[in-house]
Amino acid sequence: MQKWDELEKSSFLDANARQRAIGMTDKGSFTELLGPRDRFTSPHLPVLGTAVEFDDGMVTGVGRIGKHPVFVISMEGKFIGGAIGEVNGGKMVGTIRLAEKAAARIQKEHPDEYAARRPLVVISFETGGVRLHEANAGLLAHAEVMDAFQDCRHKLPIICVVGSKVGCFGGMGFVAAATDVIIMNEQGRIGLTGPEVIEQEMGKEEFDASNKALVYRTTGAKQKYIMGDCNYLVEDTIGSFYQAIADVADKPMAEIEKLRRIGSVKLVEEQMGLVKLVGDMQPKDAMDLWKYYGNEKPEELPELSTAEFLKVVKCRVRN
Amino acid sequence: MVAWVVQSTGEIQKLVIKEEISVALQTLNFEFQAETPETMTKEWSHLGVTGSGDLEVLMEKKNLGGKVQAKVVTPVKGFDEVWRRMLGKFVNDCQVGDVSIEINDDNATPIVVYMRLRQAWAESSEKEAE
Repeated sequence: MQKWDELEKSSFLDANARQRAIGMTDKGSFTELLGPRDRFTSPHLPVLGTAVEFDDGMVTGVGRIGKHPVFVISMEGKFIGGAIGEVNGGKMVGTIRLAEKAAARIQKEHPDEYAARRPLVVISFETGGVRLHEANAGLLAHAEVMDAFQDCRHKLPIICVVGSKVGCFGGMGFVAAATDVIIMNEQGRIGLTGPEVIEQEMGKEEFDASNKALVYRTTGAKQKYIMGDCNYLVEDTIGSFYQAIADVADKPMAEIEKLRRIGSVKLVEEQMGLVKLVGDMQPKDAMDLWKYYGNEKPEELPELSTAEFLKVVKCRVRN
Repeated sequence: MVAWVVQSTGEIQKLVIKEEISVALQTLNFEFQAETPETMTKEWSHLGVTGSGDLEVLMEKKNLGGKVQAKVVTPVKGFDEVWRRMLGKFVNDCQVGDVSIEINDDNATPIVVYMRLRQAWAESSEKEAE
């Protein structure tokens, strides 16, 4: 394994789940829970003749950022596309519940210092959603995760991190939307139905999945940033993600609540306003919306580096 | 299952394979003994992902009287001998001893297997990351 300092400088996109987990917490602070040596593997895969993985494709554990305990969930996209089944789904729920317990304990033992010691949950999504081999258990895990999010609401922040090859699709796209804060690099993608599936079901005229530029400006981080779905757009290094997480860790909960996309009547109204806008406008491409929000030359935006993009971009203003 | 085999004489022979086709994973167990074995420095090491064409390796230090035990779980049938040779080559080349190796394989080629074993071995002797 690389040294922590090297990890911080290396690409988030190329990193595996374990490197990401270690790099998103303070140097030397990460302890893995239910790691490969515990051999918590899926009982369903061998029945179907599919190879298992010792950590079921998910790294879970706890580290620190300053005084804040950080509960990390990091998905490995190379194992069955990072899909969520019974065991890794259970690990995910368990980690969030553990963070919730830690928050309650810190609240009780250090009531004056809670803001400085408040725990956080960081989820590095790299998944296509439900693992079809164990679909019912996988779907149940999605529901349980959302339930756990709701219980953490106003107590501790849940941070979604997307910047790996597979992106975040399927049911986990919903789960990502239900978090408090979303951090992405330019290569990060979030969506519900994946590009290939849309093409297969609706035809190439509807969505050409081989057109990478189209895929990225529809599901990619720049589009999400303009629309207000992505709160932090960062450079592709693990260290940049660490910095953004550290920034959220010190924010008051009331301010974090403002970064949410769903979860209140007001936010639902805001989303319905977007639906109405798209209905009236009938955009043919994401770039039509970018133009609507004041970007005079939307076709230039995908070409810009992250730093240049952040300087010139005009985003949807939320009230 | 029925297979057709072309023999060296040019004759085509019908071969009936009694073994049923099953989707079950194969579990293979091996044991090796190197001449001058040395064990790993860490208690355990883990490397790789069970991705398509790849595998994960878990190595653990274990008192086996200098021997190496290997357990391979693979979805592919009929490659027992290739596994034995590849693992044997690794144990000999690196003079590994008192180590238990567990592999979850997803159709990795022999050279990938050998490379991952060498990587896991290198990591198992590395100093802990700060």
